[in-house]
Amino acid sequence: MARAVIDPVTRIEGHLRVECEVTDGVVKDAWVSGTLYRGMETVMLDRQPEDAFYVTQRICGVCPISHSHASSMSTEAALGIEIPNNARLIRNLLEAAQFLHSHILWFYTLAALDFVSPINALSANIADTYALAQAAGTRVADFGAIAKRLTAFAENGQLSFLGGHYWDHPGYVLPPELDLIATAHYLEALEMQAVANEVVAVIGGKFPHPMTSVPGGTAFVPTEQKLDDILFRFTRLKDFIDTALIPDTLAIAPFILETTTYGGGCGNFLSWGVFDSADRDPYNRFLPRGFVTGGLTAEEVGPDDVTEYVEHSWYDSASGLNPAKGETSVNFDEYNVDNKYSYGKAARCKEKPAEVGPLARMVAAYVYEAGGKTLVEDTSVRTPKALIDLTLEALGVAGKPEVLVSLLGRIAARNLEAAYVVDLALMWVNELVGAIKGGDSSYFKARESFDGQGAGLWEAPRGSVGHWIDIKNNKIQGYQVVAPTTWDIAPRDAAGVAGPMEQALIGAPVFDVERPLEMLRIAHSFDP
Amino acid sequence: MAHEGHNALHDLLTVRGVTRRDFLKYCGSIAAALGMSETMAPQIAAALEGAPKLMPTLWLNGGSCTGCTESIAQVDSPDVATIVLDYLSTNYFETIMAAAGEQAEKQIEETIAEGGYIVIYEGSVMTGQDGNTLLVAGKKGTEILSEAARGAAAVIAVGSCAVDGGWVYGYPNPAEATGVQAWLNHEGITTPVVNLPTCPVNPEWIVAMVVQLLLVADRDVAAFVEKTEWVTRSYTDRKYGAVDLLMPKGIFGQSIHDNCPRRGHFENGEFVTEFGSKEEAMGYCLYKVGCKGPQTFTNCPVVRWNRRTSWCVEAGSPCIGCGGLNWVDNNSPFFHRLADMQMGDALGNVQPGSVGAVVGGVAAAALVAHGLGMKAAGRVGDGPPMEEMKKYDRKRLAKKGGDK
Ligand code: SF4
Ligand code: SF4
Repeated sequence: MARAVIDPVTRIEGHLRVECEVTDGVVKDAWVSGTLYRGMETVMLDRQPEDAFYVTQRICGVCPISHSHASSMSTEAALGIEIPNNARLIRNLLEAAQFLHSHILWFYTLAALDFVSPINALSANIADTYALAQAAGTRVADFGAIAKRLTAFAENGQLSFLGGHYWDHPGYVLPPELDLIATAHYLEALEMQAVANEVVAVIGGKFPHPMTSVPGGTAFVPTEQKLDDILFRFTRLKDFIDTALIPDTLAIAPFILETTTYGGGCGNFLSWGVFDSADRDPYNRFLPRGFVTGGLTAEEVGPDDVTEYVEHSWYDSASGLNPAKGETSVNFDEYNVDNKYSYGKAARCKEKPAEVGPLARMVAAYVYEAGGKTLVEDTSVRTPKALIDLTLEALGVAGKPEVLVSLLGRIAARNLEAAYVVDLALMWVNELVGAIKGGDSSYFKARESFDGQGAGLWEAPRGSVGHWIDIKNNKIQGYQVVAPTTWDIAPRDAAGVAGPMEQALIGAPVFDVERPLEMLRIAHSFDP
Repeated sequence: MAHEGHNALHDLLTVRGVTRRDFLKYCGSIAAALGMSETMAPQIAAALEGAPKLMPTLWLNGGSCTGCTESIAQVDSPDVATIVLDYLSTNYFETIMAAAGEQAEKQIEETIAEGGYIVIYEGSVMTGQDGNTLLVAGKKGTEILSEAARGAAAVIAVGSCAVDGGWVYGYPNPAEATGVQAWLNHEGITTPVVNLPTCPVNPEWIVAMVVQLLLVADRDVAAFVEKTEWVTRSYTDRKYGAVDLLMPKGIFGQSIHDNCPRRGHFENGEFVTEFGSKEEAMGYCLYKVGCKGPQTFTNCPVVRWNRRTSWCVEAGSPCIGCGGLNWVDNNSPFFHRLADMQMGDALGNVQPGSVGAVVGGVAAAALVAHGLGMKAAGRVGDGPPMEEMKKYDRKRLAKKGGDK
């Protein structure tokens, strides 16, 4: 029996510690700890609702748009505002740009280095690399030049951000040619995530922390030129997703197939739903709302189904509260896995731990489509079920969607979601152009009320995000946020049930407790 | 140029496929961001060419949202700006580094032991719960900062959180956040700190500072301080008292209002009064929906964001003054002018703890300066002429028929 610890978990947003008890090379128990407290909910008190839109998105610099949307939606729900259709489309486009930015950045910059070794890429044969790229249907780059650049980097003796890592770990199993291809795309991905954020800048002024999805709609009024700028960038992103992200995923998968056998976790999947459709029904969002706890059925789920426990978290507020009545009273105590060990609260859905994120959303969408419902009328859009079925076939497990509930499934789901979202984005740009040409010039609805309570339930790239607001006389009386990471990195609850990431770690193999690569992979797969 | 063909820059350009012309153009924009003439471009390029090996850098995340890291990823890539950033050997950078846990922490120890490095600090300094509001590898975030800063050649505080605590410092500051300079004062650490506010930091400013420190000043911090023009902003931290902040004047010496493309509409009294309206479609001034451009000193309208794609006002939002100090308390409610607050319940909308900061603080009043035809320059930390500002606001609101 040994303890394997990763602190800090790097290549994530925020501060995280993962600790596992490992016996005979297998994780027997796991504790995941959020190690930062900032107190956003308390800072929001007594301010005006619009201020919450601007400030609360600063909880997360990787998914500020989703927080800002959840915040505005909570205010709109509280004050009875339905935003105009053009604002709906513009918010969808803004959110889509963030999804694409986040997923591309996550795969290449944050997660890939758990599988891809740029050091091993140094020994790639250039001709073979071209041949492999062609065979895998993935895009070619100037592989020779990139190899040269890598060599210069390595020879200089200053490895910079690649330094200090255990590149000789036997878990790095890709052939050097594939390492080189992925490294080339790592560099291109840096460009593409920035292109996605140029869309954010056009609509929202800047990324991170865009400015225009104010409660009531949007402050952004598109011009023809700006719509062109947006369309052009989404087209480039689609090209990259189709010719790099998806084929790279499929090329790497066969080498790491054993990752379909662990890392699945609690098996309960929550999606609040994201990308509003014209009818504004959360169950008909383009990625629909639903709670799936096994099988191909989804339960209805809403703001009242959430409770947060603090028995194992550094708070002394009451435990088991719904966020509408939530309290946040921080009180640090020592780190002790048998008692309190995290600033994360244990969020539970219908009293169960719930995994959130692309896998959860794709599962909910799969169930929706498997039930015979149509997600998108436009047949040029590749829907989640079609994408998943194709992938299962390519991996030789056709008809077995349950394989997705694994480490590899969580990785693949994120990339497949990107393919779906970019198709949707292209569709929405055209819809918006049509609406504007048809004479719709409404983007914002001013509020008429100054009191109310509401919840904004939405999805960030990394999972379900909820903001709860209580407004009296135009001042915020109560504000609570249940962030995506709150769900996935949740510690144990009152009953001692482990959180989703903890459960995903339990049962995973660990080859070397001093260099727990497998634990790192599982943590990263949640994009915490 | 000296050493042509044998230096790191030349190799980098070749490998990246960047033409010399593009590179010079980029150096010109760096010069502009530093407030120098663009004719300085060849000198900057020459300095880059003579640059020695990489500068070890520790990028530390305090109480951050990782937004400033995200922001630095939004530079021209993989071309020119990244070349400058390639001069930094980021030995520790939580968000992108391959290593994790123990292996990552070793990188910090080794870099500190070797010396001659800089620290880039992102996020608030977390002092709450006796410093336990941020733990990394079981260590308090404050201790990590102090240890790294003590031996550093310089610290660059990137983003408002690192500068003065940012939104996390917003009343009532439950996590007792503060800024890097305030913390180092408290610890008696005298390493120079360069402050780059806004939320997040604009990556072009980091590039400009890197050029200035590593290349123009040849890593000599004394020369760096001497060769750069600075403004000093002063504020009072509720816990740590008076703090003076050094900021590059080229970036933080002029108000947003000064350079705003909508300024003509301001002068004409043409205002947006509702979001998404036809006035917005015509690009009218956002002053009446709360724009803090007049009292915020950054070059956002010039440098813009996301590879110069756009910026807040261009997209239709009022500036919320995220480049000001204690920006959340001083500038919210964001959709209101000071005049509205005064006409309402006598500053009743301002957080109780922030009134003092507003009155004695740093919301430098370019508005009045410009309204009266004066030029804001040099030291701007002596507190805004609040009364004049309010008078000006009242006058504008009372003006009959002038505002559209
Ligand atoms: S008030 Fe704002 S929008 Fe108007 S001119 Fe000044 S900076 Fe520009
Ligand atoms: S324009 Fe204002 S709100 Fe926008 S980044 Fe600059 S200082 Fe911040």
